[in-house]
Amino acid sequence: MQQPHVAVSGATPPQDPPDSSGATTEAPPKQVALAMDRLARAARLIADIRLGADHLLEALFLATNTPHHSNKTIELIRKEEASMRQHFQDLRALGKQLEDSGVLNGSLKSRGNSWGLHMPLVCPDGAVVAYAWKRQLAGQAGASAVDRTRLALKAFTDQKRRFFPHLEDEPFGHSHDGEFGVAKKQRTSQGLVTSHIEELNEVKTLSDILTDLENKVPNMKIFTYQRLDWLKRASLLSSSANENPVDPSKEQSMHNPNKLRSGSVNAVAVDKVAVIELLVPSVFRAVVSLHSAGSINPDAVAFFSPDEGGNYVHSRGLSVHYIFRRVTEHADKALQYFLSVDANTSLSLLLHWIYSYQTLFTKVCSKCGHLLMMDKSLALLLPPVRRPYRQTCTTNFNQSQLTPSAKVQNVDLNSAYHIGCSDEV
Amino acid sequence: MPVKWLMHWQPNQGVTLTTQILTEACQCVESQLGGAKDGRWKTALTYYRPALREASASGDLPRELLGVALHDQLGSYYFLLRAHRLILQADSSMQALMDKLQSYKPRVVLNFEGFQYRLGDFQVRVGKCVPSSEVLRGIMMEVEYLPLSSIEKSRQILEDFFDIWQDTVKKRSLPGHFILVEPNFADYGLQDHYTPQHTAVQYATCMTQLMAAVRN
Repeated sequence: MQQPHVAVSGATPPQDPPDSSGATTEAPPKQVALAMDRLARAARLIADIRLGADHLLEALFLATNTPHHSNKTIELIRKEEASMRQHFQDLRALGKQLEDSGVLNGSLKSRGNSWGLHMPLVCPDGAVVAYAWKRQLAGQAGASAVDRTRLALKAFTDQKRRFFPHLEDEPFGHSHDGEFGVAKKQRTSQGLVTSHIEELNEVKTLSDILTDLENKVPNMKIFTYQRLDWLKRASLLSSSANENPVDPSKEQSMHNPNKLRSGSVNAVAVDKVAVIELLVPSVFRAVVSLHSAGSINPDAVAFFSPDEGGNYVHSRGLSVHYIFRRVTEHADKALQYFLSVDANTSLSLLLHWIYSYQTLFTKVCSKCGHLLMMDKSLALLLPPVRRPYRQTCTTNFNQSQLTPSAKVQNVDLNSAYHIGCSDEV
Repeated sequence: MPVKWLMHWQPNQGVTLTTQILTEACQCVESQLGGAKDGRWKTALTYYRPALREASASGDLPRELLGVALHDQLGSYYFLLRAHRLILQADSSMQALMDKLQSYKPRVVLNFEGFQYRLGDFQVRVGKCVPSSEVLRGIMMEVEYLPLSSIEKSRQILEDFFDIWQDTVKKRSLPGHFILVEPNFADYGLQDHYTPQHTAVQYATCMTQLMAAVRN
């Protein structure tokens, strides 16, 4: 049996005395309670560290914006650095204690439920509960991966609210469309590119965006799903991909009758849309997930072959094919870029940008003029998988040649590049 | 199912075929294109002739029936009637049945076998064509593009691959070149979505081209 090297203490003072070599064995409940407490303190320290990093960043931004107050910012930075260092030291000490008591490795767990006690259970979604049955009693034992992720996200948001009270709630907690609290971003990013120059400044709803898109993309099919419905569909894809041949037009009949076509939206259902599937038949299938159901906030995107199916086909999954992996990688960057520029237009931009990939297997590279090319670093033959996503930004409001159709994107959607031919990293 | 294209080696006028070409082709795939050897493959093509008791009873029986056993479809056997442009998929136990029935007898059996390589999203098979007499009859390649199953959509990619392949092989200064097998899928009633039937048709067409090449 492992001997924890931790001194006994009645209450748990903010500073535990350093590891003593006393061979005092504590009763299991005490060990467990101590470990739980230490974990909580570790979480608090990590939050403090994050806060400190935030402060440092703000100080740096302040420094760039107001150069004549440099002394003050230097002081701020120094102070912050000292407190961060302290936090790290505390965290290290805490970690050591946890390690010694066997919490961080699996030794406690592998001993089984010793002494007839319930070990606190770390549930698959990351929440820690006092004993395993508690979750079952709460009816959460059978939660699917999707639900668990949702719970984890909720847990994270709660933590964020607890430890970062000064930050306004970003879209996490809010439902569907509306103004997003990008207060933090605005505070620190005044010098960055702003792109709400165009006339159509108003925030669109999800159904507007989807209807808009449908009108512009003749050969791309757009489907929307509730989150769990998408997983069912993904599994269906897998079973149909194994029969051959599958006529792409037959896929229509496999759709879940509850799924909603964006052309015939009713207000209630739009609130639940969490996954958008974009299918260009025989070319690709892209899956976009929205952060909260019904919102216009995209949070992940992934590309797959139209023949792929299975549980891994979702917005955070990876295709088995190299080409689609590369496209997904690039799409991640594009998504982050669109979100950073203007969260309100990010979904619309993303969907249009995804549409530009319908030429993935036909468009030659705008730089070298070839379709298939051996990428030296990856040792793979790939067509141009990169489509540019950066917008040219203008601060001139009087550009009369901005027609409504060209408004949202000044992105060049007509070029494509091999990985080796593109200028960006 | 991923799209496949077949190509076969056309030796220069008057040059005999040797296995050296096969070795060179394999080396091209491995070193120039960076392919990783993945295993062996073997497809068998059989020419059946009707086993007639009396010569006069031939009537409208097809003179020749082709049977193809594909390496990646071990549970199926494909029959082709080239003259009638018909293709049929049967269970692989059909071969045993044919033996028992003795209605059509196998006259020539051609084995296509060799190594297969993985190059990213492409799968390449290089192999030789040997009848039961073990005399080298031809050298051929299968190129498969895994992400797509539409023939139309993958056409450019595979054409580009073929060009890249031709360039790679040219550097070795071998006496001959690879030619694409150009089957007419529509004749057999096959659609744009690639299936094993398409492969069977390609092998059948390839045989015709190979025979023509050898005759010359």
